[in-house]
Amino acid sequence: MDYAIETDNLTKNFGSLTAVNKLNLKVQKNTIHGFLGPNGAGKTTTIKILVGLLKPTAGSVKVLGQEVHVDDADSRLRIGYMPELPRFPKHLKGAELLDVYGRMYGMTQQQRAEQIPKLIESVGLKGRENDLIGKYSKGMQQRIGIAQALLNNPELVILDEPSIGLDPVGMMEVRELVKTISREGITVFLSSHLLFEVEQICDHVTIINNGSMLASDTLPNVSNQLGPSMIHIEIADLSAAVIAAVKNLSFVSGTWRTGNTLLVQVNTYNDIRANVSQAVTGAGGVIVGMSQKNANLEDIFIQLVTKDKGGKTQ
Amino acid sequence: MMMTQNSNRGHPNWFTRFWAIVRYEMLWNIRKKKFIGIIAAVFVIATLILVVPVAISAYNGAKIAANADYAITFGGSGFVFLLFAIGTAVNSISSEFESGTIVPLVTKPVSRTMIFLGKVFGAFIILVVSYIVLYGYVTVASVIVYGPQNNLQYMPMIVIGSIVSTFIWVSLLFAVGSLSKNTIMTVIVAIILFLAFFFTAPLIGEFSGPSSTLNYFPGTGASGTILVGNGTSVGAGTDNIGANIVNYALYPSANVTYFKTNSTALMSGNATALITNIVSYTEPTSLVALRSIIIAAAYIAVFLLIAWYAFKRSQILE
Repeated sequence: MDYAIETDNLTKNFGSLTAVNKLNLKVQKNTIHGFLGPNGAGKTTTIKILVGLLKPTAGSVKVLGQEVHVDDADSRLRIGYMPELPRFPKHLKGAELLDVYGRMYGMTQQQRAEQIPKLIESVGLKGRENDLIGKYSKGMQQRIGIAQALLNNPELVILDEPSIGLDPVGMMEVRELVKTISREGITVFLSSHLLFEVEQICDHVTIINNGSMLASDTLPNVSNQLGPSMIHIEIADLSAAVIAAVKNLSFVSGTWRTGNTLLVQVNTYNDIRANVSQAVTGAGGVIVGMSQKNANLEDIFIQLVTKDKGGKTQ
Repeated sequence: MMMTQNSNRGHPNWFTRFWAIVRYEMLWNIRKKKFIGIIAAVFVIATLILVVPVAISAYNGAKIAANADYAITFGGSGFVFLLFAIGTAVNSISSEFESGTIVPLVTKPVSRTMIFLGKVFGAFIILVVSYIVLYGYVTVASVIVYGPQNNLQYMPMIVIGSIVSTFIWVSLLFAVGSLSKNTIMTVIVAIILFLAFFFTAPLIGEFSGPSSTLNYFPGTGASGTILVGNGTSVGAGTDNIGANIVNYALYPSANVTYFKTNSTALMSGNATALITNIVSYTEPTSLVALRSIIIAAAYIAVFLLIAWYAFKRSQILE
């Protein structure tokens, strides 16, 4: 298969710390691929290697079929990249910044004159494009960051936490923007800590923790790894006895604890809340709240990350 | 929203990308308060140098004596070169790292070598424009205050010399900035080095005579005199490249004579002995001019090489 991004045992060490550990990432072309992981999981380090900012300690990286090397200028002609919390020279105006970056891409004056106003409008900066970037809010800097990543009509756009600093309306606009550029055949690889954001717009997802890949597939396939449904039970003074009682139920295939919440994976579509309630109260637990639903990305994420941290109770 | 895919992606040639970096550098540089402030300060200093003697003479009721050589001898001092260098180059590299603006820049289709060269060339253009305006202003003011000026055809030499002298400090700032990635440290190192050269060179000259060793440090170098007419003072170091070229143009076959201070008389306080000039050595004006250019070029080359290597090798962790 032809991949937009392909890494082979990608590893990056900072001294004794392994930030990325033998990562085999594959991002199919023409998809929106979410890159998930808790803080410090290695997402940004991976992305910096993908765009040639950092040199890997071991392994290799191919982006759009080309090996990535630090300081390989030509390979960046086909890629758009927005760093996490991007910062731009504050003495430049928004439109000037896009113009000068456009020149670096070799865009003609006519191309810049056509493309820049469209981008400014699409990221919601119309009317502010002639203000100095130093006067932009954090959200506006995020928007100009997205605009500059799309300037060259890239084949692949890498967005590192594109919604950080945006208000809810801005976040929604970014999601719509990502969907729009994906419809135009551009592969989007975005890292995010916002699970609902990834769930809403991504069709593929990779979850990493401690630099290692925990899961990578289409969203439905990753969901299927967790079984047909999950029950969230919030229990006052969640004890080991309660967990053991729930685990002993015949339809329970796994449990994960996060604080006072017990995540229960069940292998039936029946409503078994009454059985679970009976088991919890029988073991001395007091149920504060309980809900049963099909597994969502948050469940998957919590399950995989807590399992990786040794939090699995099954 | 977007244009047809691939329509914006050509294969830009080297010059297009290079010029984009120069443009980026100049746009960012000329709006900085630091740069504007330093340029304004230099113009104020130049104005004061021109105006204060006039004001004092007017206060004393004396007439201003005509001085046809005022403009051509109005060379910049080492401190002014340092100020210009700080205004032009201090933010170019270290500030990019500090502010994080380096990240979007180095992920554009431009190599780090190209970014570095663009920044150097951007600083060069800013210096050229600044010095042309400064010396143009000084020339016009000199004519107004001191009457018609001689040898104005050599003013471009003074401009070129000032640019080269300043570029020693510019390249030092680039080197320290690339290594430290810290603007404050870059400025402190440059000022410490300037002060070290500024204070130690005259001391060496005072006690060991006008040793040509002084010419190998950035600064005024050994002090001598061209013994033609009323005599012309010469500083043979890198701060006086423009003046040294002009001296060669005006006195191509003359020598610069360096006098040794009588340190015994200096220590004993014997004034009669002290004013006895002892010729230390002489050298032709051509050698003085050529040597100051070569030494400046060597400093610039070494500092820029260090800066380029450090910039190219730096990993961006922020």
